[in-house]
Amino acid sequence: MSWEIVGMSAVCALGDTVTGIHRALCSGQSGLAPLSRFDASKYRAAAAYEVPDRVRPGVDEPLRATRWLVRVVREALTDAGLPEPEPGLPVLVGTTHREMRTAELWWQHDGRLSPADLHFTSALHSAFGLHNVHTITSACAASLYGLGMATDLIDLGEADTVVVAGTDSITESSFGGFDRIQFPPPDTIRAFDRSRRGMIMGEGAVAVVLRRAGTHPGRIHGRVRGVSMNCDASHPTAPDPAGIARAIEEAHDRASVAPDDIDLVIVHGSGTHQSDLAEAVALKEAFKATDPGPLVTGIKGGMGHISGGAGLLNLVVALEAIRSRTLPPVSDLTDPIEEVGELRIVSGQSATGPFATAQVHAVGMGGINAVAIVEGAAR
Amino acid sequence: MSTSAAMRTAITGVAWAVAGPDFDPATALAGRGMRHKDRSSRFAVRVAHRALEDAGLLGAPELDGAAVVVSSNFGNLDPVCDSVSTIAAGCSRDVSPMRVPHLSSAVSAAWVAIEHGIHGPNLTLCNGTSSGLDAVAAARNLIAAGRATAALVIGVEPDTPSVARLHKETAGTRWIDGAVGLVIEPVQHAVSRGARIRAEIAGYGKAADERSAVQAAGGTAVRRRLDGEPTARFGRCSGALGVVQCAMAVERLGNEAVLAVAGGGSGESDGTSVAALVLTPPRGRDI
Repeated sequence: MSWEIVGMSAVCALGDTVTGIHRALCSGQSGLAPLSRFDASKYRAAAAYEVPDRVRPGVDEPLRATRWLVRVVREALTDAGLPEPEPGLPVLVGTTHREMRTAELWWQHDGRLSPADLHFTSALHSAFGLHNVHTITSACAASLYGLGMATDLIDLGEADTVVVAGTDSITESSFGGFDRIQFPPPDTIRAFDRSRRGMIMGEGAVAVVLRRAGTHPGRIHGRVRGVSMNCDASHPTAPDPAGIARAIEEAHDRASVAPDDIDLVIVHGSGTHQSDLAEAVALKEAFKATDPGPLVTGIKGGMGHISGGAGLLNLVVALEAIRSRTLPPVSDLTDPIEEVGELRIVSGQSATGPFATAQVHAVGMGGINAVAIVEGAAR
Repeated sequence: MSTSAAMRTAITGVAWAVAGPDFDPATALAGRGMRHKDRSSRFAVRVAHRALEDAGLLGAPELDGAAVVVSSNFGNLDPVCDSVSTIAAGCSRDVSPMRVPHLSSAVSAAWVAIEHGIHGPNLTLCNGTSSGLDAVAAARNLIAAGRATAALVIGVEPDTPSVARLHKETAGTRWIDGAVGLVIEPVQHAVSRGARIRAEIAGYGKAADERSAVQAAGGTAVRRRLDGEPTARFGRCSGALGVVQCAMAVERLGNEAVLAVAGGGSGESDGTSVAALVLTPPRGRDI
């Protein structure tokens, strides 16, 4: 069983096309910039990966996550050759913060808020006439949860085409909350490095159009082979390697692949002490019998942690890496932790292919995990 | 969208934890493990225990592979608003580290999973007034797709200062403060373990208008209907609405099917989409 990805689009601090974001990652660019939106005197961290699109720099605007979502959905549908979708087309939107930034502007600065602003149905109805919209908030695994649910909808015969998306804008509450618990604040994201100090928030949106295999007449970007979704059920914030390992194993089962079939992995790699460690331990376990094993990279050093859309962004970058035969490196990794010693981590410069099959991770707060296996368009 | 009848699923547990004469949050939400949880998570954890108990699944081995599906629109609004107030009055160092997990909409579902060792999919939906019925349908899909042995569905909306302000600004006068829970599992599994089947989930539909949603759910001919009653009883139910509807329907289910409609014109609506769900009486052991 597989499902075809026939359209895709993304926007984040590094760029506003999938190829542009991938190219920027391969050339080692970073979207990290001085904090423009919040009063910097209230935080220890001074930078974030913001999307630089405000009309007046430094003056915040409501509904940015909604705006990006509408944009990436439009671009992904156009890319798929489906600019005027059926009104019942399911859209599964993964998001950690929904429009909580708009709620903050309402609460603290007398902005406007309607209950319907807190989900994405009305925006997608206005833009495209779509009503079958689901706002999935399974933390930072949300967009890969959406992908898993989309494959189920197609399998269960409820739809032939599904749009899966992710969107988030940086909220002051979460920026402040992470600033509280990460000290000294991270200067950048150093996934798997001994000197890593934590996660830095990013923002942006990503969308893909998924279709039942064999139904799309045009070009495809790749295929989803299988998606797992689970929960550690162990700790509210600290990830559990066993939960991530189970998610990897289940994804392989669902995709009918063996660990040796995986050419590359794009990890969650948020750069926090515990999350990177848990992921490294889980990867070591999952690929212990492989030789030489997959190449492993992470991309958050480029665009920060874009929260709900992070897993799906990993997926589109993985497909672009397969197409272009170029896998970007983990940025700012100079002194890897012992737990990744046996893994083939890509650092310093891009690795070149050919690649066929990729594994992408999303590890959300609350122990919520999802892993997807995808392959490129060429068989 | 309509749900295929690939696998028959049933409601086998129902529980309430809603502020009122039978539930005083001041005492019922206190106690061990509650101190560092937000109001939404406290309600969710309480109702989860009661729902599993009602279904006879407390501590059962099948919980390991079960799913948690939470529906809530305002669950984390208060932690978010409260944190920005704290930062505005001082700086980020004044935010309590215990607050950080509660900034996520997903936290209530995560706490429930931790409490009962539920390792399957952990899903939170925030779809507006249709969200509760959408959550029941999502739970059914997770089971039908082989991702979950059973699902605990929770609709929760806490009454907090920011939630109250939002309701008042949008012409609300009363709103629910609490959680409602359902246990959903395959009919075959319920029968094999001798569980009491309270209702079967027969059809689900979601559309821009009520008529199309009801049609998609296969509910056009269903005479007994439930839409505005939860709102008349509790005030606005928002993300909990569909779950409250199912719980009320199960309690009064005779030998006739019941159609629940959330987000429709005659009931509570946020003007975006309408969901419809048909519940039928247990068919007995005819499988």
